[in-house]
Order: sequence, then C-alpha cells, then structure tokens
Amino acid sequence: MLKPELCAKIALMTWKVLGHEWAVDLLRSHIAQQKLHHAYLLSGPDGVGRRTLALRLAQAINCAQPPEPGTPCLTCRVCRQIEAMQQADLLVVQAGSKGGVLKVDQVRELQRSLALHPYESAYKVALLLRFEEAHVSAMNALLKMLEEPPARAILLLTADSRESLLPTVVSRCETLRLHPLPIEKLAAGLRAELGVEEQQARLLAHLSGGRPGLALRLSRDPELMKKRVAGLDELKRLLGCGLVERFQFAERTAKDSKDKEKFRDLLEVWLSFWRDVTLRAAGTQAPIANLDWQAPIDQAASALGLARAREMTQLIERSAGLLERNVNPRLIAETLMLDLPYISLELVPA
Amino acid sequence: MSQALYRKWRPQTWDAVVGQQHVVQTLHNALAADRIAHAYLFAGPRGTGKTTTARLLAKAVNCLNADLSARPCGECEHCQAVEQGRFLDLIEIDAASNTSVEDVRDLRDKINFLPNQGKYKVYIVDEVHMLSTAAFNALLKTLEEPPTHAIFVLATTEAHRIPATVLSRCQRHEFRRIPVVEIIQHLEQVAQSESIQVEAEALALIARQSTGAMRDAISLLDQLASTGQTITLAWVQEALGTAASQAVLTLVDALIEKDPACLLDTVHTALDSGSDPRQFARQIVDYLRDLLIMRTGSPAQIETTPEARLQMERHAQAFTPAEIMRLIRLFNTAAVEGRSAWQPALPLEMACIEALELPEAPAAPRVSSQPVQPAPAQPPVAPVQAETVSRAPAPPPTSAEVSEEDVQSTRNLAGMWDKVLGLVRQQDPKTYGLMNSCKSRFMRRDQVLLGFASDIVKAKMEKPENFELAQNALSQILERPVTIRCYVDTHKRSAIPDGVDNDGMVAAALRELGGELVDIN
Repeated sequence: MLKPELCAKIALMTWKVLGHEWAVDLLRSHIAQQKLHHAYLLSGPDGVGRRTLALRLAQAINCAQPPEPGTPCLTCRVCRQIEAMQQADLLVVQAGSKGGVLKVDQVRELQRSLALHPYESAYKVALLLRFEEAHVSAMNALLKMLEEPPARAILLLTADSRESLLPTVVSRCETLRLHPLPIEKLAAGLRAELGVEEQQARLLAHLSGGRPGLALRLSRDPELMKKRVAGLDELKRLLGCGLVERFQFAERTAKDSKDKEKFRDLLEVWLSFWRDVTLRAAGTQAPIANLDWQAPIDQAASALGLARAREMTQLIERSAGLLERNVNPRLIAETLMLDLPYISLELVPA
Repeated sequence: MSQALYRKWRPQTWDAVVGQQHVVQTLHNALAADRIAHAYLFAGPRGTGKTTTARLLAKAVNCLNADLSARPCGECEHCQAVEQGRFLDLIEIDAASNTSVEDVRDLRDKINFLPNQGKYKVYIVDEVHMLSTAAFNALLKTLEEPPTHAIFVLATTEAHRIPATVLSRCQRHEFRRIPVVEIIQHLEQVAQSESIQVEAEALALIARQSTGAMRDAISLLDQLASTGQTITLAWVQEALGTAASQAVLTLVDALIEKDPACLLDTVHTALDSGSDPRQFARQIVDYLRDLLIMRTGSPAQIETTPEARLQMERHAQAFTPAEIMRLIRLFNTAAVEGRSAWQPALPLEMACIEALELPEAPAAPRVSSQPVQPAPAQPPVAPVQAETVSRAPAPPPTSAEVSEEDVQSTRNLAGMWDKVLGLVRQQDPKTYGLMNSCKSRFMRRDQVLLGFASDIVKAKMEKPENFELAQNALSQILERPVTIRCYVDTHKRSAIPDGVDNDGMVAAALRELGGELVDIN
C-alpha cells in the first residue's frame, strides 16, 4: 500500500481529481485488474466531485491510448469527448433541470441503447446523474438492467445519498461514498491547482464546506460571490431596521422571485450565516463558512445566544423547505421578517 | 469485466439457498410430489433470494433428471441452458419496464404456444408491484387458468402493492431477512473460495450492516476485496461511513456535561474522518436505544463487553427514560431528514443543540412562528396579550433584575387587578380613582410597583391612608404580604413592558405600528 501523500499525488497526477484518493485508487485497481463492476453508485453532497469522478472513470475505461492501465490520457479524442459528455458510447441520463424529475421513459430509452454493442470503445457507459431525482417508477424500471446489464455495459449512478434511492437500487451497485475534503486540504489543492491566492483559497474552501466542485464553481463565477455578499449585506441591513422596511423587502423579494430561484439562493446564503452564528455561539472549533464575515457573526452570536441562533437556523431551513413545497413566497418572506431578531451589527466584514 | 460476486454466487441448487428453509422445503416437496402450482408469488425484502428461487424453480420443473426429488440436477442440457441464461422457455419479464396493459396483452397472446424445449414455460415477472392496475387486471384471467404448460412466478419487494385479486390466485411465499449468523457463515464460505482475507470482526460488521440482505453483504465484501488485501474492521468502517463507537460515547458524555462546543467538535471530528452524518445519527440512536433498554430494566438484552456495560450504565443513569426518548426522537429526525443539500451535517448539528436545551423548551410557546392566538373581541388597537412569554425579558422599568418568577407574578397581578380595584372601591371610592389611573403595574418579589403618569398622582397615592388601604387590599387578594412602591412612569406609552417578548407580535405592534398598550390581562 502506498503512503497516503503519495497516493494523493498520483491521484492528482493521473486522474486530475481533487481529493477522493481512496476512491481513485480503488477504481484504478478495478480497471487495472480487470475487476470492473457493472454498476457503481457515487454518492455525496452536491459539488463534492461525483460527476467528475464518474467521467474520469468513463475516460479511464474507454481511453484510446492509456499511458498505463487504469489511467486516462485525458488528451485523446475519446477522453476529450467524454469530458464534454459527447462521446458516442457515453449515455448521459439526467433530469431535465436541477430539481426536475428523471422520467421513466428516459430509463427505458437507456435500456434500448445499452442493449446495443459499443460503437467505438470497449464499453458502453451509462451515466445517470442526480439519480435521487428519478421518479420512483424510473428507479424501478432500472432495477433489472442494474442487476444484470449486457456484457459490455457499465452503469454509473450519482446521487446525494444512498438513502434517497430505493434500497433495491443501492443493493445492486458498488457504492462509493464521497465526502467533503478537510478544509485545509482543499485550500491547498485550490492554491496548487488553480493558482488561487492564499486568502481567497481559504475563503473558497470554507464557503464550499470542503466540496471541490462547489469551490471551483464559486471561483469561476464571480457573480455567485457577489450575490452572496449582497445577500449577507441585505441580512445585516434587515437585522437593524424596523418592520416597515422589512415588509418592503418581503414585497420586493416576492415580486422579483417569480421563479423562486433567487429567493432560494438568498435563503441558502442566510442559512449559511445563521449556521455560522450557531456554531460560534456554541463555541466549537468547527470551521464556519463565511470566513470573511467572522466579526459580524461573532457579534450576532454573542447578542443572541445559542438557543435563539439555533432557532433562527431551523427557521430559515424550514422556510426553504416551504418554498420548495410551493408555499406563497411573499407569505414566507413576511413571516420570516417578523421572526428576525432586532440586532444591529456594527462590525464590518473583513 | 469480472462478474460481480453476488451474481457469481447466485445459488444454483436448493441447498445453496441461505436462510429461506421454509420456502425451499415447500417447493422441494412440491416438486418431489409433482404437485407444482401454476402461479407463485415470492415476496420479501431485497437480496433475500426471490429471483434466485424463481430461477431455481424454473430449472427444476424443466430438469431432465429421472429422480423428481433430485431436480434440478445442474448437469442435464436444460439445467445448463438455464444457468447460462439461454433457455428459451424461461421468460423473465421486467415488470418495472413493461408496466402497461399492452405488455400484458402481448404476454397473453404468446403464452398459448407450446414450450420450445422443456416441459413448462416459466414466466418470471420480476418487480411485479410496478405493473399498472389495468395491467394487473388484464393478467387476472390468465393467472387464474393458464395453459397447462405455463407457470407464473411473480417476484416483488412490495407485496402490499399487489391487488388482492392477484394475491388470491397465487401461492404466496414470504422471504425473510437472513439472520446475521447465516450471512456470516455464507460470507466466510465465499471469502474462502475467492481467497479473500478478512477479519472476523469485519465480516460481522458487514453482515450486520446488510440488515438481512445477502446481496448487500456480498457486494460489500466484493467491493472491499477488490484491492486484494486483508479486509480489516477499520476499513469496513471507513467504507460504510460508520464512526468509531468511541465518537458516540464522547458525544453522549458531552450531552451529559451539557457542553455544546465539545458536542459539535465531536460531530465534526467524526465527519472529518469520513463518517456519514445520517449514519452517525443512526448510530447515536442505536446507542440511545440501548440506554433506554437498560434504563427500563432489561439490561440482559444488550450484548456487549463488561467494560462497555459499565460505561453504558453510567450513561443510562444520567438520563431519565423520558429524556432518552426525547433524545432518540431528536436524533432520529436528523437521521431521516432528507433536506439540506447545502450542508449535510446541518440536521445533526441542530439535533445536538436542541438536545441540550431544556426539555421544557419545546413546550414553551414558540416566538411567533405560529399564527397569533385568535384575539378576543377587543378593540383592534390593543391586541395585547401577555401570552407570549419571553425568554429574554425586556429591560424593566427599574434597574432591578427581572426573574422568570417576577414575570409570572406580574401576569398574575394583571389577572387579579380587577378584584383589587373592586375591593378598594368598596372601602374608598377616592382611592379607587387613584388606583384606576395607575398606568403600569409590576411585581418584584414581594413588592408591587405602581407607575403613575405624574408626580401629583403619585404623591396623592403615597398619602398614608390611600397607601395602606391599597397595600392591604393587594395583600388580601394576592394572599401574601406585599409592599407598594410608587414611581412616575416616564416611559413612553409604547415602551415594551416585561412579560412581552422583545421580538414578538406585541412588541412589533408597539414599535412599528404605533400601537398603544392599553391593558395587560
């Protein structure tokens, strides 16, 4: 067995995946020893790197000129096509949009295509993304295929957790549970890989909670970061002002969040804030997400205390849940406004 | 590509089926006596051998061996064909993909043709619970009286979704979860034949984790074996995301100590080392359940080492059964909570913190996340109710510390105030007038604070005759000696008195909407 540091290096060198060395190691050895299974389930929170790992696996399986068994070259045509999810033998099945539903017809279509011989590669690889969004009948429809697929077919499933799939699905797959990287490690990885500055890398690592995919998304899209800061500023303002302004905010939010998307994003930012407040109020060493807002967070934590902070966190979470269940956004916003405590955060973020 | 172990090790003879003696024996006897039914329903949890048994049955009825009880022989042409998946008269239908009534009609059309090779055509309809209602109904007639050469085997994990009309036409066999001991035995056998090195403890954990499903157990073994090294307990734990049991103990210690920092640190250490938040929550629930069992006086049921038992007893004594139940409920919610994709650990963290709060807390009225209590018929200006008790009382009119008790007795006083006024009125209408003009009233232990609008009224009230009369009346009504202190209520009318939540609806009405506090009752 190689030393962990060495493993990490190899994983990074050969598969170009941040973290998850053990998983890369395992999959590599499966390919190298010709012990590939017919179905893998990669589970883990959003942005942890499930899809990347699945694509790398597909590349490693089908690469036209692998430098060594189990390692994709990442430069040949097939590898590049797979990277773009446009290869002839890579069948991608996913819900139409995030939060949508993967329909049973898509699975049936997949079954038909999987039954065909691979077009140019060694294996036909079916990539079923966010399979927790699959309709229950779609999951059931996959069962037989998942247990005994055609000889030259491999199914790769990704999901947020094993529990959100049918147990009958899970028990047919080899499950790899990807978990977030330690914050420090991700920060180091971001510095080394992307050349991000020290401070920015740390912030990204904290914000993403150790999930490389999310960190990359945040670093590539400055718009997302701007939105986050705007959301926090808004919250700070609301905490300090009276009900009239709060209700104006609720009205505004409801008006321009017809698609709910914006409001949901805002709630997510707020949730991260309140969770940080809770963590600080509890006095734990656990890393907070909004590293650049530490001062206001500490202030809020000492002003509110643990119980109240916990209550607020759950309140925001519940509001997000209600939004998901199509409760009137304005109603949610207004109730939330009534429940926000009155504190003025004087300290400014770093 | 190598075949997954659970497929490679699919039993090919009756004897190889693990843990389903009651089903195997029945079928075997039926075969030996040549009394095969025309429709079977195999129901049971995943990975317990339904499809396997169905295929065995198909093999057995078509086997060419002369001895009925020795079927399937595994050697004849037909047995071989079934094993290799090329037997024409074994028709395996994936009911989850062919759910419609058209599919069933298609089946009905073809079933009348005689078998190609064997004696029987065997239709295995797997995942049969997914058939549509119309499809089920279309199947009914065929299922009741199929041609003599046809046998149906329906297999499902969810028998409750099968219509009663279908159930009554089938011979139903219930597959049970396979006991841990038998799983371990079977895994040992597999490991030996596949030359996999594995620790006994690791096998036990795999078996326990698979909750009676053999496929889960074998595929986990397969996964762990793929690196070709000895499988250790630590490795299994890592793959499963189960935290070391030490983490659970530390967490319970922190719960007893009521130390939120230590509690969350424990959670995060466990998660950083790779355990799954839900899995961890489930482990906590398991342990708490053991504590509950121990606390309710049946410690014999818990299998554990003597040292661990001592530790458990200490933990069990630190809680009352009601507390343990509350904790179990909290952590169980965290274990099943589906939401929160943003931060997977959040439900667990919230459960931890909530667990530390006093058990009374959930019973206390929530802030105002619930709709306001229906206001009684009162002028709309004053929807004032002191029901929303604060946990963080507003600053008092005097500098004295306000205790929870004071808030309570202030509310009490508010309820009694009319009686007090009534009593005073009987004795002296003038004093009654004075007291009636009192703006605010508070209790501080044995002192009653009366707030008046101006010095003049206050001075009048402080005249001995008025003062004593009021004091006596108050003591009489409150049934304990109290003293009166008067002060000038310089607060604005909208100041938020104690007993009213600073963040609640009443406070909001006062502060934002220009409400006036008319009365507290």
